[in-house]
Amino acid sequence: MQLFPCPFCGPRDEAEFHYGGEAGNLRPDGREVPAGRWADYLHMRANPKGATREIWVHVTCGEFFAMERDTVTHKVAGSVSLGEAEQQP
Amino acid sequence: MAEVIPNLADRWPAAPDWASARIEGAGFTVRSVAGLRQLLVSGDFDAWNRASGLMGQGVGALALAKGAAWQVRVARDRLLAVSSKPFSVEPGWHGEGFAVTRMDAALHVFEVEGEGVGSVIARATTLDPETASPSAAMLFAGVNAIAYRHGARNRLRVHVDCGLAAYLWEWFGQLPNGVAR
Repeated sequence: MQLFPCPFCGPRDEAEFHYGGEAGNLRPDGREVPAGRWADYLHMRANPKGATREIWVHVTCGEFFAMERDTVTHKVAGSVSLGEAEQQP
Repeated sequence: MAEVIPNLADRWPAAPDWASARIEGAGFTVRSVAGLRQLLVSGDFDAWNRASGLMGQGVGALALAKGAAWQVRVARDRLLAVSSKPFSVEPGWHGEGFAVTRMDAALHVFEVEGEGVGSVIARATTLDPETASPSAAMLFAGVNAIAYRHGARNRLRVHVDCGLAAYLWEWFGQLPNGVAR
């Protein structure tokens, strides 16, 4: 079992969380989006070995947040609420 | 030859008579608590408190709530207000900055009491009992629930979706020496 840090609730069992995807994978907007850009958005993932930044949701409290963790060691570097993350430079 | 259709309802135990049902286990007793008013409040807690006359922002996970009306925090901007008497604030959107949803029929309430409450919590959750958490919403016996203490340290209240009440009752009955009466 891993403990993930919900920015609001603190450390909780990983079973309380859902993965939301890699952070920064923004949905394309507008009619003129080329097919390649859509394909990147829908199918292409960086899937890094090592440090990564991901979007997660703590299902029990509904908090959406960004979490930085290592896909090799599973060590979590930190998490920040999406509302707070948007305010960071 | 006519096909025999199995009665799928047989796969699940029937819900007991909640008014009289009891489970007695090793150092604990479980019963259903009826008659509580439950309101889910979202938005500005200060405005809600001014309108309702309640105080605070709700107790967190496994924390102790007291009194005839209390509040339990379930999210950053959401709490569950519980009372044995009707609230003075009507459900709906309030221009002061909060929304109120009646949850009386949505959440079933169980009470676990006795010196064995700690062992029940240990089996039902993965929370560190020594570490406070501001939200009482958690996985309890594998399902989403709201769990806190009420009135005494050895009295646990668990609010769970009504549709999961029979499951959770069966789960309580599987605890050590758990016997439904």
